[in-house]
Amino acid sequence: MLLRQLLKYASCTLALGLAGLAGSPAVFAADPIRLGTPLSLTGTLADEGMKEQSGLEMCVEAVNAKGGVKIGNEQRKLELIKYDYQSETSRAVQIVQRLLTVDKVDFLFAPYGSGDTKATAVLAERYNVPMIATSAATEAIYHQKQKNLFGIPFPNRAIAEAEVKFYKTNVPQAKKIAVFALNSLFPKAIAAEVRQMAASEGYEVVYDRLYSPGTLDFANVLTQIKAANPDWLYATGYIQELILLRRQMASLGMNLPVVTMTAGAAYPDFGQNLGPLAENVTSNAWWWHPSATYKDAYIFDTALNYVEAFKKKYNKEPTYLEAAATAGCEVLALSIEQAGPANIDAVRNVLASGRFETFYGPIKFGANGQNEVASPLLLQIRNGKYVTLDPKEVKTGDLIVSVKAQ
Amino acid sequence: MIAQYVANGLLIGSLYACLAVGFSLIYGVLNIINVLHGTFVVLGAYVTIYCAQLLGISPLISALVGCAVMFVFGYLVQRLLINEVVAAPVFISFTLIFGLDLLVNNAMIQGFTATPRSLLVDYGSISLFGLSLSVARLGAMALALVLTGALYWLLRHSQMGRAIIAVRMDRHAAALLGIRVPRVYAITFGIGALMAAAAGGALALVYPITPLLSGVFLGKSFVICVLGGLGIVPGALVGGLALGMLESFGTIVFGSQWSTTVGFVLMLLVLVLRPTGLAGRKGYE
Repeated sequence: MLLRQLLKYASCTLALGLAGLAGSPAVFAADPIRLGTPLSLTGTLADEGMKEQSGLEMCVEAVNAKGGVKIGNEQRKLELIKYDYQSETSRAVQIVQRLLTVDKVDFLFAPYGSGDTKATAVLAERYNVPMIATSAATEAIYHQKQKNLFGIPFPNRAIAEAEVKFYKTNVPQAKKIAVFALNSLFPKAIAAEVRQMAASEGYEVVYDRLYSPGTLDFANVLTQIKAANPDWLYATGYIQELILLRRQMASLGMNLPVVTMTAGAAYPDFGQNLGPLAENVTSNAWWWHPSATYKDAYIFDTALNYVEAFKKKYNKEPTYLEAAATAGCEVLALSIEQAGPANIDAVRNVLASGRFETFYGPIKFGANGQNEVASPLLLQIRNGKYVTLDPKEVKTGDLIVSVKAQ
Repeated sequence: MIAQYVANGLLIGSLYACLAVGFSLIYGVLNIINVLHGTFVVLGAYVTIYCAQLLGISPLISALVGCAVMFVFGYLVQRLLINEVVAAPVFISFTLIFGLDLLVNNAMIQGFTATPRSLLVDYGSISLFGLSLSVARLGAMALALVLTGALYWLLRHSQMGRAIIAVRMDRHAAALLGIRVPRVYAITFGIGALMAAAAGGALALVYPITPLLSGVFLGKSFVICVLGGLGIVPGALVGGLALGMLESFGTIVFGSQWSTTVGFVLMLLVLVLRPTGLAGRKGYE
């Protein structure tokens, strides 16, 4: 009896001891740089969250493959500390709080979208930890006079301006615009920018309303829009609702000259779910063209290389969302290298003042933390592929005016 | 234009009715709040989409396959898991079903991913008296009537249906009379899952499907059953059409972002003023 008990205690101790040995870090490796990463892997923004994750992992793998970030004589690898905030803003705030106080991360990435970025940026500022936002473009977030928020996407206004100017020039016969926006920070903001700019350029705004996430039926809205007879429909939202909107437009027999859908339509899944109905729908992107000649001395060399590497790992094409996430992580790595030993204030200064040449394009953060270098792309879906309409340097086709109900 | 608004309201209303029939059966007859309902609908939709896309079968047959698969799944879930707690306080079975829902939902997100998927079949729309009516939604209207009729026939005129009502009235008395109670519960749950899958098949023609829709569908089913009332077979039909019309007119009067709010406010009013629902009755049939 006593012997059995003794054996039990001995084996327990042995097991714990072995576990302890296995868990202890190797004596010679330097500690990794810990990057707090709140991701929306489940919930309504799960699709976008997964994309952001892919983009960040591309960068971390590429940097770690080079041995890590070079700081003085030593190299430190990057490590993502990931948590799923389930697309709930309140949980995103809790998770960022946890990353800062419990996990004590060195730097942060913002959650997806302008709304959640705005909510969590306050914490980054309070704890004085730099946060890189890779998917937030609404200027209102960056007006909060913070020192710690750095945004890769340039302001919404640049896209709205580019769009209104383009359509005014190329579709002069269009006089009436209908604006229909999702009641969420970014889609609402960009729709408001477009509406204002269109009104100031002489368009008549015949419809201007909002809708909630999770709306299951747009039939009555579209009946009202159809009755107003617009030449240009500007609809914003995320992929789920935009697919439904386009389908219901077809079932109500709506034929319009120009239909622009922002934020959902730039992803290939939009065309895959709609088939021929996606034909001629226009959209926009913060940047994405594999043939753009941006050079990157740190990782990936060129945009084309990035696309190839991404396709090899994930078996699909990247969108601007993944590219922005990769670029955001890269900018952080570059700043840490330039700032020398891990001194957060020095890193912050490099972020605030440096200009980074990446495969994503040149990135320079303005005084308010948002990227000043604007390069909006206007796209049209044709035959399941994207044709770039603007700017002229990367244009691959001309606008076709007509979106039919099939 | 009013006619088009009314038509739109009725069409979305019948989609809602399809959605809620299965939920109403389990809630009204078994008195179990089936939190798995939304998940069943989405699973049924996925089976339909995958059969149609991978095996090239027509959407109608794929939907039938979905119904069969979900019947078996529902039967097994009830027989093996929920039956263990069916005699316990309702809170326990609610917690169990809620936990199962979380499990299945997250398994779906892992397996299917959250990327929207669609049936790329377009039945187009027809023009009738100057109104544009989507053929897929008209089909859903027909399906809602078929499901309600089937439920009515089941509960009134079939042996199994009378057994289900008997079990609801008094479980112990039913057992004493030779009714195999666990089997009846399992079959009812299976039928509820089958109807959910039928709705899923219809919805797959209209919506891009993601696992995240299950919460939306469950919420709507709940509101519809409260609005329409339980204890009566056409409850889901009445509730669905009422909700469809209310949301439609809510959209026109207040704007689209208020349409869901209008539905919930009406549900609150019904709960306060007429708790049995617009068409419901206290007691069993």
